[in-house]
Amino acid sequence: MKKALIVIFLHFVCVSLFAEQLHVVTTYPYIASIVEQIGAKNVRVHPLADGEWDPHTILPKPSFIAHLRRADLLIINGAQLEIGWLPPLMKQSNNPKISVGGQGLFDLSRFVQLIDIPVGVSRAHGDIHPDGNPHYYLDPHNIPLIANAIMEKLCDLDPAGASDYRKNHALFINKWETRLTQWDKALVKLKGIAVIEYHKIYDYFLRRYGIELLGTVETLPGIPPTSKHIEELETKLQTSTVQFILQDVYNPDGASLHLAHKHNIKCIKLPHDVGAVREAEDIFSLYDEIVRRLTNE
Amino acid sequence: MSDILLTAFLVSAVLLSINSYFGLEIIRRGIIFTDLAIGQMAALGAGLSLFFLEGEYLYPISLSLSLLAGLIIAVASRRSNNVEAFIGLMYAFGLSGVYILLSKSYHGMEKFQNLMAADILFTPLEEILRTAILYAVLGVILIVMHRKAKGVMRDLLFFITFSITVTSAVKLAGVLIVFSLLVAPALISTTIRKGIPIVNALIIGIFLNMIAISVSYYLDFPTGYTIVFVNSFAALIASAFSQKAKSGDTVKC
Repeated sequence: MKKALIVIFLHFVCVSLFAEQLHVVTTYPYIASIVEQIGAKNVRVHPLADGEWDPHTILPKPSFIAHLRRADLLIINGAQLEIGWLPPLMKQSNNPKISVGGQGLFDLSRFVQLIDIPVGVSRAHGDIHPDGNPHYYLDPHNIPLIANAIMEKLCDLDPAGASDYRKNHALFINKWETRLTQWDKALVKLKGIAVIEYHKIYDYFLRRYGIELLGTVETLPGIPPTSKHIEELETKLQTSTVQFILQDVYNPDGASLHLAHKHNIKCIKLPHDVGAVREAEDIFSLYDEIVRRLTNE
Repeated sequence: MSDILLTAFLVSAVLLSINSYFGLEIIRRGIIFTDLAIGQMAALGAGLSLFFLEGEYLYPISLSLSLLAGLIIAVASRRSNNVEAFIGLMYAFGLSGVYILLSKSYHGMEKFQNLMAADILFTPLEEILRTAILYAVLGVILIVMHRKAKGVMRDLLFFITFSITVTSAVKLAGVLIVFSLLVAPALISTTIRKGIPIVNALIIGIFLNMIAISVSYYLDFPTGYTIVFVNSFAALIASAFSQKAKSGDTVKC
């Protein structure tokens, strides 16, 4: 009898602990990984997209709506990266907490300096993203800015857990700074080299480490390479030394491999998010792996 | 969650109502891919509007192009012996046209796919209601005119109502779902010798969609593709195991 009572008591403790957890939904796994570090046991976090998928076009599943309905907080990358898939999901989830203008909708792009913002948006170039390049989190120096914003937001929504969030955040930043010094040191030797990338996804990273971008394999963002464009790239390749072609995991790599083979350049497949390759298990190992793949001779 | 499943189910039921008739009719006429060709021409219209007019007049341009496609197919199906080849090429023409147009626009393809490949999970109820009313009106016109019209007039009427149906259906659920809902239940109903084919097609379609939507929910599969998969799989099985109709037997409508 006593045992049963204890079991029942423990059950209620668990249930109440569970109920107090903040339900956080993130659009991408890298955000979920940061939230896990800072929120720890006070939050339940669920990323919608898979790290292997093309972040611009996510195929919706019924569970997405279920998660969004339960969410207290929805953290997005912003800068229009989710524009192609998230708005109808938010609308259908009908959760006032996370709707536009709600307390629980949190856009991380507001906390970093975006690049490639078009001057005077003209329609001549089609649908350029007016907010700039949305792939800012691939510069590891931007991660502390995002982590800081997430910590403040969690404290806001859940004051009871604030001291925990601050403590976890301090630990995270400490660990991050140590790793950042190592990554910066390892990447010094890439300064001044030139690369080609498939999509303009690693621009923030390249800029940070002084790597020159000679061109993209795709003709325009989201438009597969045409023969004329490849020809122009090849002319550039003849007059300058390109060290690597950077390929993401979700776009077809045929054109990149063709160029790499023909001009004897190394084609490197880089993860762009947690889970994009097996080694990138969390936000730390994502950058470990990017650095390893770039510096591994 | 049940409301989401209900929406998906309502969309498929509304689509099935009129498409059971059209499905049987296009199988009988041997012009199965008409729907894909008309749908693709509607898409080309959307592409034209996006590229030249920044998305203005999207629906009227789509509808005009699909009506034009419907009329051309109506004429061709009376004149040409190779009407399926003709319809297939019209599909290819529309598809390649869209790709060429949007290859000159940043993220144009993403925007286009958003507009055209609507997801059955997100259809608002008002949209479903509006489509249901449209189909009811078209249905009445079809029933009344079917008796009166003859020959060329009857063909024209068929292709015009079909073009309007396809354009609105594609907007509601996407090209692939419309195609599978149109053809699969109708094809299965042709293997059944009892009852009225159009009623059979409707019942079969509703049953298959209930299965597909439940599977998609419990196994967390993308809903649209699950509907296409279940419908086409059932039709393949039914066709494989049914006895071939005797020559001279034709599909009744």
